[in-house]
Amino acid sequence: MRISVLLAGLSVIATLSGCSSMGVEAWERDVLAKDEMQLTTDALEAATDDHIYFSKEASSGGRGFGGGGCGCN
Amino acid sequence: MSNKNKLNITSALAAATCTLLGSGAAEPVQAQEELGWGFNTALLYYGEDDNRVQDLSLSVLGQRTYLDDKFLSLGLTLDTLTGASPNGALPQSVAQTFTQPSGGKTYTTPAGEFPYDDTFRDTRVAISGNWQQPLGRMSLFNVGASASKEYDYLHLGLNAKFSHDFNQRNTTVSAGLAISQDELDPVGGTPTGLTEMISASDDDGEDGEGGRRKGPAESKDIIDVVFGITQVISRNFLVQVNYSYSDSSGYLSDPYKVLTAVDGVTGDVVPVPQLPGIDGPSHLYYYEHRPDSRAKHSIYTQGKYYMDGKVLDLSYRYMTDDWEINSHTIDARLRWPTGDNRYLEPHLRFYSQTAADFYTLSLVDGDALPEYASADYRLGDFDAITAGLKYGWKTGGGNDMSVRLELYRQSGNISSTDLIGNQVGRDNYPDLNAIIFQVGYKFGK
Amino acid sequence: MTSARPERSISVEEGEGCLRGQFQAMASPCEVLCEIDDHSEARRLTSIAAAEAWRIEDKFSRYLPGNIIDRINDAAGKAVAVDPETSQLIDFAESLHNLSEGRFDITSGVLRQVWRFDGSSNIPTAAAVKKVLRRVGWHRVKWNTPQLQMLPGMEIDLGGIGKEYAVDRAATLLRDESVASFLVNFGGDLAVVREPRRRKAWKVGIESANTKSRDAGKLLSLQIGALATSGDARRYLLHEQIRYSHILDPLTGWPVPDAPHSVTVAADTCTQAGMLSTLAMLKGAQAETFLDAQMVRYWCDRG
Repeated sequence: MRISVLLAGLSVIATLSGCSSMGVEAWERDVLAKDEMQLTTDALEAATDDHIYFSKEASSGGRGFGGGGCGCN
Repeated sequence: MSNKNKLNITSALAAATCTLLGSGAAEPVQAQEELGWGFNTALLYYGEDDNRVQDLSLSVLGQRTYLDDKFLSLGLTLDTLTGASPNGALPQSVAQTFTQPSGGKTYTTPAGEFPYDDTFRDTRVAISGNWQQPLGRMSLFNVGASASKEYDYLHLGLNAKFSHDFNQRNTTVSAGLAISQDELDPVGGTPTGLTEMISASDDDGEDGEGGRRKGPAESKDIIDVVFGITQVISRNFLVQVNYSYSDSSGYLSDPYKVLTAVDGVTGDVVPVPQLPGIDGPSHLYYYEHRPDSRAKHSIYTQGKYYMDGKVLDLSYRYMTDDWEINSHTIDARLRWPTGDNRYLEPHLRFYSQTAADFYTLSLVDGDALPEYASADYRLGDFDAITAGLKYGWKTGGGNDMSVRLELYRQSGNISSTDLIGNQVGRDNYPDLNAIIFQVGYKFGK
Repeated sequence: MTSARPERSISVEEGEGCLRGQFQAMASPCEVLCEIDDHSEARRLTSIAAAEAWRIEDKFSRYLPGNIIDRINDAAGKAVAVDPETSQLIDFAESLHNLSEGRFDITSGVLRQVWRFDGSSNIPTAAAVKKVLRRVGWHRVKWNTPQLQMLPGMEIDLGGIGKEYAVDRAATLLRDESVASFLVNFGGDLAVVREPRRRKAWKVGIESANTKSRDAGKLLSLQIGALATSGDARRYLLHEQIRYSHILDPLTGWPVPDAPHSVTVAADTCTQAGMLSTLAMLKGAQAETFLDAQMVRYWCDRG
């Protein structure tokens, strides 16, 4: 069951990469350029939350790498 | 064309313009790009109820853009941790006494209460650095390092990431690698897994009976790889999907946590003989023991959607590992502008995980000891919810400031079939209720 | 072809420590940022700038029957006498023609008749381009101030100079009318009148075609001077995977290969900035080399 979930996830990635016709022209990027439309709007807040949940739960990351480990888990 | 000729264009152009505009020579232009240091600072308070963990931390992130789109960021975090943590044992109808991790002393939990070890006061310093630069027109390269130190723990790490844009920058693919080498030097030495908790006077620090040894520090090595795709779907909609794999090996147990051995029928703790003049645990407890390797897979997907000034940020993460833990995380944020440079941002997060296969509430006295076992609530089956609100504004000086308040609640899912005897009537999972309060301030460039 | 006439009105609103006068001119949103507090004064000064912009727009527009450009382009081979202002602009265009070794040419507008940059894939045939090219070339023009004579069928187009010239003219008028600091911005081509007093510098954003997560469009501090941008954002043809920019080489009749998507230059006046960015675009792949040699600050976007 675990393998099939992973395969599903990888197929999502493969599908997205096939969307080479999707997107916008260079001059239509005004909204995407806004600070609040960035994938990580506040790096510090994301790092703080990652650290809290890393020390209280068994999962971590997903977005990328955190700043580093700690003795809290 | 020679250099001299080229320069003639500028002065010739200036002369021609002078003639055209009829005014005298214009003042020389003064234009600079906004380069310089920008700082992002945050003060965080994290507090659990019931006299449990409280954390106060200060973080500073400095960022600077250099010419040619090169980018440096440096981070520093200081935090102090106080308060008590569940030690893995269960509430009983009698008082329980445990040996402190540092040895030499014991502490007692009254009947009916969750056993907490409140001997932790720790301060941690963490630093990180990251350098980013373009590789050609469409690629980006990132390299970073991180380190942190607390009383019993040292972390050192390196990471690198490469990303490439194509399809008119509508698609970005990235690949990253991080390696960490951590060292744990437990207070009082490392206990041998699944041996009985030692007495307080068994503090000779030597190997042998007593189950603790003061040997070299334990080490833990972690490798993380992340692959990701970011895709612009439309003018208002952006999506990212990441796959991560993480491999940890080394000492993965928590040296301060124990499991209770209970009677197979009553489910109550088993007293151990108390020797005169010797302080020690009142009942039978075993130090926990986790496998020495762990492989995790995660799929993470995030979407950002702009609707009429508001931004919805929705993400989902699925994690599965070879400890049989599966987790789902759903995170939703809505940024709601409320006026000139002000916004409200409600936040909701749902989390649920299944227990590790070696997680167990207690061990049955008399049964053969398993190879691995842990009663650490963080490896159990539980759900968690976070609900919060953030408010952001621009100060008079034009800097961004924000405050956020969040409530985090964790509650265990223990099925009655896992319970033995009198455990049925008791609280077996140390449900968590915590407050997160953070003030953020950005200044500089 | 006549373009629809947008409303010629002015509005004034509060900015950050300044008043912003806005109006439409030369198919662009125009604004005048004034470091003053009096709304009526801001309105008066914006009107002066707007009046100058509309005057230049009307005088040199290709679409207004009866103006000087219309009379020149309808002359059918006869000589036309032009006024002093037009004369100076034509002199300026001639200097640019020489400085650019013929690549800047105000007679190249007729190439528009075979090149329609509407995002489609309709590129003209070599024969059609050759035919039109016979009516292109400053060397075919007899220019003896104030008499201009061209071959029948030839046209001149001052659109490439007009907007930046208008910015500088409006800036000059404001400098004489008030002692305050202003930022005159006609659709991205802008100039500063006097160093600002209420801030370290006027903050100006450069539009950027690409959006890396950190910076989408750079922010400049402009204390004094001007900025102009040449770009091909909306005007191109896509034929067999090749993107043809709307920057046409009057010597060949075809688009300049490898032209950047946009070039922004900072210079002492808007006219100079505009001409440097135009000349850079005409240099195609050599745009950056050319601008490096001019020792000016520039931002080149190749998308």
